[in-house]
Amino acid sequence: MKIIRGIKIGGLQQKIFNLILIFILAVVGAYAAVSYYQQKSLFGIAEEASSEQQEAITDVSQSTMQAVLEASLTKSTALQAYIANDLFSDVRTDVLTLQAFASELYEHADSFSAHDYYEPDPAKDGTASVQMQHEEGVDPASSGQLGLVANMSEIMLAMFESSDKLNSCFVATADGCILFVDDRSASYVSEDGEVYPFEVRERPWYLQAEEAGELIFTGIELDAFTGIPGLVCAAPVYSNGELVAVVGADIFLTSVSDYVSSTATEGGFVCVVGDDGKVLFSPQESGIFKAELSSEAQDLRESGNEALAAFVTQALKERTALTLIEVDGNEYFMTGAPLGTLGWTVISVVDKAVAYQPTQEMLSQYESINGSAMDTYRQNAGRSNRMVIVITLILVALAFIGALTVSGRIVKPVEHMTRKINAIEGSSQVFEMEDIYRTDDEIEILAESFSSLSKRTRDYITEITRITAEKERIGTELALATRIQLDMLPNIFPAFPDRPEFDIYASMDPAKEVGGDFYDFFLIDETHLGIVIADVSGKGVPAALFMMVSKILMQNSAMTGVSPAQVLQTVNGQICSNNREEMFVTVWFGILDTATGTVTAANAGHEYPAVQQSGGQFELLRDKHGLVIGAMEGIRYNEYELTLTPGSRLFLYTDGVPEATDAQGNMFGTERMLAALNNDTGASPEKVLKNVRDAIDDYVKDAEQFDDITMVCVEYIGTDKKG
Amino acid sequence: MLNIEKFSNGSELTMALTGRLDTTTSPDLERDLRDSIDGITELTIDMGGLDYISSAGLRVLLSAQKIMNKQGAMKVVNVNAVIMQIFNVTGFSQILDIQ
Repeated sequence: MKIIRGIKIGGLQQKIFNLILIFILAVVGAYAAVSYYQQKSLFGIAEEASSEQQEAITDVSQSTMQAVLEASLTKSTALQAYIANDLFSDVRTDVLTLQAFASELYEHADSFSAHDYYEPDPAKDGTASVQMQHEEGVDPASSGQLGLVANMSEIMLAMFESSDKLNSCFVATADGCILFVDDRSASYVSEDGEVYPFEVRERPWYLQAEEAGELIFTGIELDAFTGIPGLVCAAPVYSNGELVAVVGADIFLTSVSDYVSSTATEGGFVCVVGDDGKVLFSPQESGIFKAELSSEAQDLRESGNEALAAFVTQALKERTALTLIEVDGNEYFMTGAPLGTLGWTVISVVDKAVAYQPTQEMLSQYESINGSAMDTYRQNAGRSNRMVIVITLILVALAFIGALTVSGRIVKPVEHMTRKINAIEGSSQVFEMEDIYRTDDEIEILAESFSSLSKRTRDYITEITRITAEKERIGTELALATRIQLDMLPNIFPAFPDRPEFDIYASMDPAKEVGGDFYDFFLIDETHLGIVIADVSGKGVPAALFMMVSKILMQNSAMTGVSPAQVLQTVNGQICSNNREEMFVTVWFGILDTATGTVTAANAGHEYPAVQQSGGQFELLRDKHGLVIGAMEGIRYNEYELTLTPGSRLFLYTDGVPEATDAQGNMFGTERMLAALNNDTGASPEKVLKNVRDAIDDYVKDAEQFDDITMVCVEYIGTDKKG
Repeated sequence: MLNIEKFSNGSELTMALTGRLDTTTSPDLERDLRDSIDGITELTIDMGGLDYISSAGLRVLLSAQKIMNKQGAMKVVNVNAVIMQIFNVTGFSQILDIQ
């Protein structure tokens, strides 16, 4: 594990830290995602709603506007047509009145005297007056008609003065003179007082009226003198089928166009189109709807704009519905209403953009309101977003610190514990419970377990140390005891180097450190050798102690010179008197008369001795047995005698020999022992013991030795050799 | 490797031994006897399954015999030849009631 700033990378702390961090990040992430999604969808909804509202406003507003426009425009067009019609029909009526009056004059020419007429008088300029002009080369004085038609002077003057629309009214005679009323006398007289000539019969109105034979309205013509464009309504007057005069009224275009202009609103206007499809009146100063001189004007129906042509054709016949027509790349709403009197039509034109301007205004207002709302929303959303980011950052920071703290809190006691445990040395220190482990969770339990384990381990180690020391001490003492025990047995061979009449050899191999077997031999007097072999019940230290006591008691008793049976009885009595542990010992005790080879022996529960008479085989001597020593008080032992001829051997052993056991649990047995003995009948006592030992080892192999193995061999050599 | 089976009938107790009665196993028998010998007037040691007896085993038998001498009687039954020889050699045949 690497350690960075006190945090173990890959450690428990980092893992817990990661876990908490991941969890909190997930929650924060979800929060951020939900916030973002919510805002996004809210924004989407707002935008969608806005655009839907916009569309709805456009739709509703436009259709409303169209409906309003249709209603108002058709209505106003009809009204305009009516008014225009009224205007022209007034003029028409005036001209018809003049025509009727003139016809009447000519009909009853005889009844009227010639009326005075005057040339234009600049002095009367500004005042309505009747004036006369004539064609060049025509003499008014010779005109037969001028005096007649001059009778219309008063009526024409009255007509002119009563109408604010008439520019002038006149009567022109077929012989090239004209009487007219207006207030612009000065216009007709040159600076040197000459009256300008006037080509009456070349005027368009004259020609048209003459040609039509009925009342006509001319196209737009320039006024002969003022040059102001105007329109003339004229009607021919016949007398006896002859054209005698043309009457008419002059309407300056301005007076109509003033009126028409007054209808013009922003983006909209009214124009009058004649039955020839030409624009007669229009406030437009350019474009297709501009009123031009008739010579230059274009028939709208031949403009190449089929929609416009169809509309104009219809408008000349009847009232039209609101129609959207594209003209010169611009869209216009138009309605038309015909002027019944003249076969003209009034067309109201409204620019679509202007018609929809309120919609546009409403939309732009809406957009601005909505835009500002959206801006506010966006600002708020932005603020909210920043807030979310800030909160998220704070949460992440808190999560970081929190995860660090929590994981630290969890891991700290564990780390502390690890340090403390690692610091424990030797058996004196123990793991102590500390407040840092009081976490009320598994760590506390773990710490308590450690503490208890540590104490137990320390106690155990102390105990083990103590036991080991004890064992060592005991081991040492046992080793010492073993040596003392062995030292107590005669173990220097040859034991009696100055006694050639016998040879004795003995060995004891204890199974444990100290054994319960013992052997002993000692000279009781010059010719009597005491031989003891014994086996204490049990093993180990108790057996060894008991054996020591037994050995000393045996020797002490034997040294008194009493018989073997008496020795055993005495020792049995001594041991039984104080044997609460109920231990006992088997003893074979014999006394060899070294002079005769006679052995007097008594057996207290010990193994049968093996005897080899000189030159013969070893055989077990099934002697009389008494009870083991220490079992019962007051036991009497029998003794017996056997005589060893020179060269004879007596072999004594403990049960460790026949009961030596191999790995399979089979005992060595006395048969094998005898076989081992008889295998080498001439062997010295030392060799005899070695032979038996070898045979045992060969038999048990690696199996553990359970019992002490103790052997004694005496060879009686005899005294005769001395002699 | 000693199996001890006990059959109790009032003050009569039979302990059947199987295996080896040696230094290692003798304490088991000694403990068993100490625990169950109170109030027993007739103790029977069945050695039918016993293969071997060591001096430690003999000591336990001797203790039992001494106790039973005071409170009743003890007998040893089903003794095989090997063990009988040991009893003979050690003189225990003289103090045990072997049947």
